[in-house]
Amino acid sequence: MEYVYAVVILIGLYIVLAASFNLIIGYGGLISIAHPIFYAIGAYASAILSRDYGFPIPLAMLAGTLIALVASIMVALPSLRVSGDYLLIASIGFQLGLIEVFKNASWTGGAGGFTNIPAALSASVPREVYVAIVVVVAALAALLVRAIAHGPYGRAMAAMRDDEVAFSALGRNAVAMKVGTFALGSALAGFAGAFYAHYFRFVAPEQFDILQSSVVLTMVVVGGIRSTWGPVVGAVLLQALPQAITFLNLPPAVLGPLQGLLFTGLVLVFMFVRPQGLVSAGEVWSATRKGSEHARS
Amino acid sequence: MLSFDIVAQILWTSFATSSYFVLFALAFALVLKVNRAFNFAQAAMMTVAFYAAYTCVALWGLPGWVGFAAALAASIILAIVIEVFGFRTLRRRRADQIFVFIFTLIVSEVVAFLAMLVFGTWPSTIFPSLFWPVTLVGNVAVSQWDIPAVGVAVSSVVVLFGFLRFTRTGQFMVAVADNPDLAELYGIAKQRIYLATMLTAAVLVALGMFLYGTRAQVQPTTAIDLMLFAIAATIIGGIGNLWGAALTAVVLGVVQNSSVLFIPSEWQGFLLYLFLFVAIVFLPNGVKLPARRRLTRKTVAPDLVGAGSQES
Amino acid sequence: MPVLEIAQLNKSFDGIIVADGIDLTLEAGRIVGLIGPNGAGKTSLFNLVSGIFPPDSGSITLDGQSLKGRKPYERARLGLSRTWQNLRLFPSLTVLDNLLVAPRHYAGESLLRLMFTPGSVRAAEKNDRRKALDVLERTGLAAVAQRPASDLTFGQQKLVGVARALMNDCRCLLLDEPMAGVEGQAYQTIQKVVRDIAASGVAVCVVEHNVAFIRDLCDEGVFMFAGKVLARGAVGDLIADPRLTELYFGT
Repeated sequence: MEYVYAVVILIGLYIVLAASFNLIIGYGGLISIAHPIFYAIGAYASAILSRDYGFPIPLAMLAGTLIALVASIMVALPSLRVSGDYLLIASIGFQLGLIEVFKNASWTGGAGGFTNIPAALSASVPREVYVAIVVVVAALAALLVRAIAHGPYGRAMAAMRDDEVAFSALGRNAVAMKVGTFALGSALAGFAGAFYAHYFRFVAPEQFDILQSSVVLTMVVVGGIRSTWGPVVGAVLLQALPQAITFLNLPPAVLGPLQGLLFTGLVLVFMFVRPQGLVSAGEVWSATRKGSEHARS
Repeated sequence: MLSFDIVAQILWTSFATSSYFVLFALAFALVLKVNRAFNFAQAAMMTVAFYAAYTCVALWGLPGWVGFAAALAASIILAIVIEVFGFRTLRRRRADQIFVFIFTLIVSEVVAFLAMLVFGTWPSTIFPSLFWPVTLVGNVAVSQWDIPAVGVAVSSVVVLFGFLRFTRTGQFMVAVADNPDLAELYGIAKQRIYLATMLTAAVLVALGMFLYGTRAQVQPTTAIDLMLFAIAATIIGGIGNLWGAALTAVVLGVVQNSSVLFIPSEWQGFLLYLFLFVAIVFLPNGVKLPARRRLTRKTVAPDLVGAGSQES
Repeated sequence: MPVLEIAQLNKSFDGIIVADGIDLTLEAGRIVGLIGPNGAGKTSLFNLVSGIFPPDSGSITLDGQSLKGRKPYERARLGLSRTWQNLRLFPSLTVLDNLLVAPRHYAGESLLRLMFTPGSVRAAEKNDRRKALDVLERTGLAAVAQRPASDLTFGQQKLVGVARALMNDCRCLLLDEPMAGVEGQAYQTIQKVVRDIAASGVAVCVVEHNVAFIRDLCDEGVFMFAGKVLARGAVGDLIADPRLTELYFGT
């Protein structure tokens, strides 16, 4: 049962990651694969503050989220001022550079990882509570992204993706919007990271490298870019499938690469056979029904 | 502690080992310049090149030149596959830039995973030993690998320069890099040039990887790490500036290796990312090499002012 | 009363001169026609004014405020509006939504505002919507408001471009070949809309090749060639000048 809970929690966290990544690359049209590093920042920051500095866990989690938010702005602002392509390079550089720091610094536990992270809920509280919380958080994250994407901000993002020059000439600050989108998405990832840290109680640098980037990327691309439920479907599918393979009892040396091959192979297949993903989004932007009804009155 | 000999040794060795970095950077910069594609799939090309050479030489005991020929063949074949089945399709579909990048990243990872399955994850080298006989020049140890490596890098730069300047295909590549639509209007077959660029990159990659694999250990994921270096050199050297990328690769290689004199070795990797980050924030257009002076052409407008006009 | 003042504007790209000492003033309520052969630098002048690229030297002021160093979005928020030679509508949006992203200030642009004061954003949306529907009425596009912008005829799309520019409550309006490829009802509508907009006190500048349009509508003509302003005056005089005609058609 413990195993099932772990899987459900992981799925929930990946839903948050996939939905927030979809916000960044799908709706925002930004090119970045460094999403896992903000997950890492949320996890490490919350873990360090709660274990080594005595922060109460909710405060540590909040701090972790804020630090992820600030870090993402620090990366996005200077790069997006130049161009969208620079964000990609700056973010990869930031991700890999920070992983080096995590691997070598003593206060992060080094390459062996950070252990003994305080548990979010005391032993007397049933596991189901944590699971329920994560499920609710996941649902809220997906709905938040949906609300933003189908509201006036989403309308502006669609116009910006279509023609950024014309968009700017109308009076819209495209750079500010891109930074804002990146920051919100990364903050959500940081928040998820904090949850991860306090449930699994162990974080290590290699959990957040470019391989993780592919996992999240696959969920969004295969699930369906720019759709609300695509990332959810992607997260569920792509957490469930590798678990299924583990039952084949293959040696670990084969299992790891095979899982990796599965992820990456899926992306390739979908990219060329069904680029819109499993859940396809509409071509034309539309407001949420509630929003447009309000405006019509 | 910092004697002249030690400094000279580190400078020489890092200069010699920057030879393969130059080749990797040139390959990446070339594809970015002409095809306007962020070819992260170069890591895949590098991986197949290495393992082809490794299979021939280390596993089957064939001579070194056969290994190199295999590396060349593997790299070229993969380049063709990537361009024809990948880039061309995405171009035809006018895919978003993020999809093109995701494609290149995924290709690198697929190849890495396949390599892991077939060859395992432990480090390997093309020749059974990394030991090369050493001669002492003054007090600096010059290994038998160093001179040919530098030679290969320098001649590649020279040949590439000549190729782009003096051959028809090379000149077309430059034209397409400048203005692909205009080049097409002049009758240059863009698709063929894109393929030619990928093939040129494949050759550079095979050379670079053969050098690397005879000097250092390679794992299935090594190429992906090496790509960061190529990308950093291209960005810092100035996008579109091939020789800037090559020069920056040398400088970065020397600086990174020399940094062991000043900082603990485990932080060496971090230094690269620091440079990249600083470059993006402070030098977004790369380091500026002096621009060639152009003659200003003024189109002369007839002097009609004063004929029935109002000066405001 | 001058709204837009351009003084000694210079710009060249790699040796090709697109702006050569341009002086131009746009006055409130007047329509200036910018004419000249292709490559004269007319669209480049619009691009310099809207901030797509910076001039090498010279100044541009809007209502006395220097535009130097200001990004395109800042210039729009100061009251500058323009249309594009190649339309540049947003195909992912409906006609109405194309207009809704165009007001000078857009409430939904700030995530913070959206998350912390959604009420004010909703109120602003209601206002913008009312205004957009009004503009669509005036431009005869009310019937196609909910259609994707890419679904329309070329003439209708041109109208959307003009309508979108009107959402700004601008002080200065630059129209880049609004009549190219347009005829019939759309032609009449654009002509009327431009007249009305000028009458309301906006300074208008139109780049056009359509001589009838220039003659009927413009208070003043400015002839450009190779980046220079060669002549300015009554449109009739410019059209009648044989030397200008020669330059226009290119001997």
